[in-house]
Amino acid sequence: MSTGTSGLQATVDLALKEGIRAGCSDVSIIGSRSLTSQVRFSNNSITLVNSVRNITIDFYLAKNRRRILGSSSNPTERGVRSFVQRLVSACESLPESKDYAPLPSGPFHYQKRGNYDPKVADAPLVDYVNEAIESALRSGALRVSGSLNTESTQSIISTSAGANADDKVSMMLLNVRAFADDNASGHGLSCTSFISDFRAGEAGRRAGEYAKMSLHPVQLEQGKYDVIFLSTVVANILPVAGAASAFAIQTGMSYLADKLGQRVGVESLGVMDQAVPERGLGGRSFDDEGTPTQDNDVISRGTFSTILHNTTTAKKFSAKSTGNAGIIVPRPNTVVFEKGGVTFDEMIKDTRNGVLITNNWYTRYQNQRTGEYSTVPRDAAFKIKDGAIAEPLFGLRVSDSIPRQLSSIEAISTEREWIKWWEVDTPTFAPAMKISGVPITRAVGS
Amino acid sequence: MSQDLVHIAVERALQRGCEYAEARWQRTSDQLCYVRNGEAEPSVISDAEGIGVRVICEGALGFGATNLLDVASVTELVENVAKSARGASSSIKEERKVRFSSEEPGVAKWGVEEKKKAEDVSLESIIAFLKEIDATLRSPIADVSFPNRNLAVWKGIDEKYYENSDGSRVESRVPRFQYYGTMLAMYEGKPTSISIPPGYSGLGGTGGWEVIENLDLVEYVPRGALEITAGIKASASPPSGVTLDVILGPNVAGLTSHESCGHPGEADRILGREGAQAGESFLKPDKLGMQIGSEEAFVSDDPTIPGSMGFYLYDDEGVRARRRKLITAGRFTEFLQNRATAYYFNIKSNGSSRAVQYDREPIIRMGNTLIEPGDWTFDEMIRDVNRGVYIKSFMEWNIDDKRLNQRYVGLEAFLIEAGKLGPAVKNPVFEITTPKYWGSIDARAKDLEYTCGTCGKGDPMQGAPVFFGAPHIRLRNVRVGSR
Repeated sequence: MSTGTSGLQATVDLALKEGIRAGCSDVSIIGSRSLTSQVRFSNNSITLVNSVRNITIDFYLAKNRRRILGSSSNPTERGVRSFVQRLVSACESLPESKDYAPLPSGPFHYQKRGNYDPKVADAPLVDYVNEAIESALRSGALRVSGSLNTESTQSIISTSAGANADDKVSMMLLNVRAFADDNASGHGLSCTSFISDFRAGEAGRRAGEYAKMSLHPVQLEQGKYDVIFLSTVVANILPVAGAASAFAIQTGMSYLADKLGQRVGVESLGVMDQAVPERGLGGRSFDDEGTPTQDNDVISRGTFSTILHNTTTAKKFSAKSTGNAGIIVPRPNTVVFEKGGVTFDEMIKDTRNGVLITNNWYTRYQNQRTGEYSTVPRDAAFKIKDGAIAEPLFGLRVSDSIPRQLSSIEAISTEREWIKWWEVDTPTFAPAMKISGVPITRAVGS
Repeated sequence: MSQDLVHIAVERALQRGCEYAEARWQRTSDQLCYVRNGEAEPSVISDAEGIGVRVICEGALGFGATNLLDVASVTELVENVAKSARGASSSIKEERKVRFSSEEPGVAKWGVEEKKKAEDVSLESIIAFLKEIDATLRSPIADVSFPNRNLAVWKGIDEKYYENSDGSRVESRVPRFQYYGTMLAMYEGKPTSISIPPGYSGLGGTGGWEVIENLDLVEYVPRGALEITAGIKASASPPSGVTLDVILGPNVAGLTSHESCGHPGEADRILGREGAQAGESFLKPDKLGMQIGSEEAFVSDDPTIPGSMGFYLYDDEGVRARRRKLITAGRFTEFLQNRATAYYFNIKSNGSSRAVQYDREPIIRMGNTLIEPGDWTFDEMIRDVNRGVYIKSFMEWNIDDKRLNQRYVGLEAFLIEAGKLGPAVKNPVFEITTPKYWGSIDARAKDLEYTCGTCGKGDPMQGAPVFFGAPHIRLRNVRVGSR
C-alpha cells in the first residue's frame, strides 16, 4: 500500500470498510501521516538531530452498543485487516455501554482554513538553532540549551456516518533556555505554524536578556504578593479549557463542576476554544467523531459558559456536541485567552510591591476538584518595586487555588503569545496576567 | 524480518561512513480497561511498531525512526539520519563531539516469565474485576462517600530486538500490568480528589495477570480508602513554624528517592543535556563523592529487581544492567550513566539508557529507585519522637529543575506526641531543600514498600515505567507548614 496521500486515504477507506463488514454500527477512522524533525542543543552546541516519519491509524468501533478504541502503526493491508479483526473480537466481549450514542451523521461542512505551511518540513533547523544560540550569547548568556521541533501532519477522517474530511497542520516550536551562570537563567519561545512568523533570534535574545538580568538572585520572604505571570506561565497554570471538558467534570476532577452559567472569574476574563485560529498555532477542522470543530466560548465575561462535549457526553448532559471529541475525553482544540486592556510595561509600572514570574514547571494538584495546586517558578523571576523590575529571585514556589486566582486577576495584557512546549501541550494564545494576593512559599534548609 | 531490517540498518549506516550505528525494532502493545462509577468506558488497544536508528557521524549524534517496515523505507531512513548528522557535524565543536565508552557487547535473549499470560487475559475479565473493586466503594466508608470513581488496569507488552556496530545483539520481551484508581471523596459536603494508592501512584509490575491477582485489590482498595478517610476528615492544622521530627511513610519517601536523588544523579542532566526541558542538576561532574546527607542516607537504583515495574537486564545501548548505589552513607557514590556520559567521565556505562518506544532516542532513565531499608520498626521510630508529624501519604508534590527545592503535601497525616501517634492533621506541607532532607534522616525501618510510577523526561516526552521504593524513614529537626 502506498504511503502518499492517496495511499493514506486508501488505508482509511479499507479500515472503514473492514469495520462495517464486521458488523459494526459505528466506525470512525483517522489516518495520520507525520514528519517530525528536531535539533536539540545544550552548552551552545547541537546534541542531536532527529527525524521521525510515522503513519498511524486510529479506530473507534461500536457493535451492539459495545465500544472500543484502537491505534495501530501498521498501515499495510494485512495489518489493517488483522487489527480490525482483533478490535472487533475484543469489542464483542465487552459489556454494553449505557452511554452509547451513535456517531453524528452529516452532511458536514468543514472549514478549509488550516494552519499549514508546506515550507516548514524543509526548514533549515541547524541554521535557526545557531541563530538562537548566537542571539542568546550576544544578549548576555554564557551557555544555551533547547530544542527546535518541526511537525507536519496530514490527517484524514472517514466515518460510517458519512463524515469525510482531511486536514493539514504544521508547527515550528523553539524552546531556548539561556544561562548566565548556574543560578541565572532565562527562557524564550517561538511557536508558530508558518515559517515567516518564526523568530529564532528573538527567542534567543529574550532568553539571554532574562538570564543576564537574573544574576545574583536573592530569596523572597514567604507571603502573599501581587504576581505578574508571563504568558508561558498563564498557559500552564490556568488550564481552564481542560477543566471545561465534560470528562473532567464527570470524573469529579474539575473545579468548574457545577459552575456552568456562574461567574468563575473577573469580568475581563474570556477564554475560548478555537477550532483553527486564523494564522495561529495548530487547531483542527474535525474532531475524532467527524464533527466539524467550532469556536466555543469557555469563559465569557468571567462566566463559565460552555462545557466541551463529544456526542456521548453531550447525550449524558442533554447537550450538543461542541466538536471536541476525543472519544472518551473531550478536549480543547486550541485555547485562546481574550486580550486585556493594558500593556505589559503598564502592568509593571502599576505594581508597587510585587513579583514577576517568567516561566514555571511541575504544576501539581493537592485537590483537583477544588483547584488547590502548587507550581515551581523556573528561570527568571524578579521583585517588582515601585513600578520597576528589581532584584532577581530564586527558590520560590506558588501555592494557590485556581478558582481564587481567576477571581483575583487585576490586569490582563494586550500582548498575547502562542505557547506550546514541555509544560503546555494544547496550543494556547495567552496574555500576561497580574493576580493579587498570590501565596509564595519557599523550602527550608541549608 | 524485523531482525533482518535491524541488521540492514546498522550495516547501511556503516557503509555511509558513520563511526557508530545501532538499530532497534520495538513493538509496544498496550491495552487499557477503564471503569467509571461501575460502568465500562471504551477499552483501548494500541500497537506501535517500528525501527529506530541512531548513529554517530563525524561526532554528531543522529536519530530517526519509521514504522514502514520494508527495506526501502529503512534504507531511506538510514540515509537521512546519516546525512542529517553529518550536516550538523560542522556546527559542533571538537570538545562537544559525541563519543561512546567502550563496553562489552551485550549478546542475550531475555524476558519476563508470565504465570498467567497477558495475551490470555480478556478485556471482559479485567472489566469484571474492576467492577468488583468498584463495588467496594459504592457505599460510604467511615462517613466518607465516593461519588466519582475511576478505576483502570493497563497491560503492556514491550518487545525489542537491538543491534549495534560494536557487536551487541539483544532480544527482549517484557509484559507489564498496572492498576490505578482516582476518586472524589465527599465528607460533610466538601470534595477531595484522591487516588488509591495516594500520590497518583499505581500498583503492579512485570509479569502476567498474576501481578494484579497478587495485589488482592478487592481487599486493598477499600482498606486504603478507610485509611485515607482520616486525612479527609482532619481539620486540625499541623504545627508550623517550629522545629520537630517527621516520619515519612513509604508512599512519600519512595518518591523522594526518585525526585531528589535519582534525577539529580542522572549524568546527562549533570552535563547539561536536558537543560531546556527536564532541567539540570545541583550536582556537577566533580561532585561524585560529595557528602549530601547523613550516615543513614542510602539510596540505590536497581533495574534487576524481579517483578519490578522498571525491570530490565540489558539497556538500549546493549549494556548489561546492574544495581547502582547512588547515595552511600550520605555520599553520592554513583551517577546514572549511558555510553556517551560514561565516555566523558572516563568510566564504564552502568546500563541506564532506555527508550520507551521505537521512535524515541534512548536516554538516561532510572529503573527502580529506593531508599535502602534499615533495621528499625515503625513502632520503635514513633516511640523515639517527642513531638513530630507522621506523613503517611501525599497527593501534591513538586521539585525545582535542579532538584534542590522540593515539596510534598500530606494526605493522611498525624501528630506524634510523647512517643505516640496523635490526632490526624490536615495537609501538612513538607517543603525542604535536598541537602537538608538527606542530612536529616536518622532512622530507616525494615518495611520496604514499592509503588509504580511513570517517570517523565526527554523531548519528545518519554514516560518510563519505574518503581519508587522506601521503608518508613525518620527526619530530625525539620519543619512542616500548612496550606
